[in-house]
Amino acid sequence: MSYILPIGPYHPALEEPVHAKLYTEGEVIKDAEVFVGYNHRGIEKLATERNAIQTLVLVERVCGICSHSHAFTYAMAVEQINQIEVPKRGAYLRVITAELERLHSHFLWLGIACHIIGHDSMFMHIWDERELVMDLLEKLSGNRVNYAMVTIGGARRDVDDDLRREILDACDKLKAPLDRIVEIALTDKTIAMRTKGVGVLTREDAVRLGALGPHARASGVNIDVRKDSPYSCYEDFDFDVPVVDSGDVFARVVVRALECYESIKILRQALENLPEGPINLGTKLPKIKEGMAVTRHEAPRGQLTYMVVGDNSFNNYRVIAHVPSYKNTPTVPHMLRGNTVADAGLIIASIDPCFSCLDR
Amino acid sequence: MQVQEYKKIMIDKDQIVPVAERMRKKEIWLTMIHGFVNKEGQMEICYDYQVEPVIESYHVVGEMTVPSIGEIYDVAAQWPEREINELFGVTFEGLDVSKRLFLPEDMLETQGKGQIMVTPLSELRRLNREEAEET
Repeated sequence: MSYILPIGPYHPALEEPVHAKLYTEGEVIKDAEVFVGYNHRGIEKLATERNAIQTLVLVERVCGICSHSHAFTYAMAVEQINQIEVPKRGAYLRVITAELERLHSHFLWLGIACHIIGHDSMFMHIWDERELVMDLLEKLSGNRVNYAMVTIGGARRDVDDDLRREILDACDKLKAPLDRIVEIALTDKTIAMRTKGVGVLTREDAVRLGALGPHARASGVNIDVRKDSPYSCYEDFDFDVPVVDSGDVFARVVVRALECYESIKILRQALENLPEGPINLGTKLPKIKEGMAVTRHEAPRGQLTYMVVGDNSFNNYRVIAHVPSYKNTPTVPHMLRGNTVADAGLIIASIDPCFSCLDR
Repeated sequence: MQVQEYKKIMIDKDQIVPVAERMRKKEIWLTMIHGFVNKEGQMEICYDYQVEPVIESYHVVGEMTVPSIGEIYDVAAQWPEREINELFGVTFEGLDVSKRLFLPEDMLETQGKGQIMVTPLSELRRLNREEAEET
């Protein structure tokens, strides 16, 4: 028997508003459609009414999880137009915050994935470890979300020696629980049965549909802006880009878990080699010069792109934010086809969607 | 400190599809399609491709009807094209716009189309203030 099954925009398995229509034949999904736009706030338009400093505050509110990524990428665009060179220490502090953000975001997703498949003890274990990262972010920036670490021309807050040592210790402390999490993820039968061969996105489809970030890397596509087009100070760090070929939900779990190790590797290098010097240029409210810049940052969910147009005034002439979920969400119907209704929630969640980012 | 390079290339609308086909053949990512009304009041549509480590940005200026590259880049092009259609009223030939992406369902009949262009927030605020003063 065939019927249409609606999921969302408000549904227990969804953290954010999105609507999916599943066209089913019995328990099997034959086709699917995804509808977004429930959270469209016109942030790009609001940015044209604000100056560069106000826009930093605004773009941080695009998303509660990757807020630093938005401010970081926007600031890079303005700095590129105005030809501002960020002091090395400021650039390192931005990277430290970005990698802590990636860690907490990946822990958050891994926990939610376990919760959706019914492995709640694992969910609680992962979120317990995530608290350590959240505490560090709070100590570093003063906030658990919307860190406000970025200003035009550098970072807003410095790291003293005590905090530097504390974050380095935390990198050591995270190693054992992360090993345990990866071991459980790789060997647990419940996780394997719910994720292996489920929601497959082939390499060919990932390339054609333009998938980004860990979602693409789980389909065998080696794509990471930090390596492909290094920016800020990422060229200073030695790290790997985990790539898995199977393209299923299991691969997405593995890629994100392995990426946590790489973030820790970057954090350690950044903290051990933190350069001396100023953290910012003390830039007052800048006029955004005539020109245009496109900047990219590897946010936790994939490549985040900002385009800024300046017209030699304080306000932005045009700001465009293109988020990874914009590319990853349209791949969902392709992954749903041929799977069962029971796996739909997990498959949608497996791209680590952020609809507040997507809708802007 | 490394800066990401950005290369702006002006093209005619006839070149949109050939450029997309060439890029797709080389498995180059379509970073984004975006648009804005430039200072001369003309629509500027930009097609950004990731020719790593550079972003090659192909700009088409002054066109309100352009061919869709949805056939070539699938949803990676269709979604941003639908967004530009909703926000700026640009027509993408061959693109299915029967469903809304971001703006309200009744957008096509009543509101939304071109709203971003013609109603700056500052103007809206001024109108609201005047209306409040009158009442």
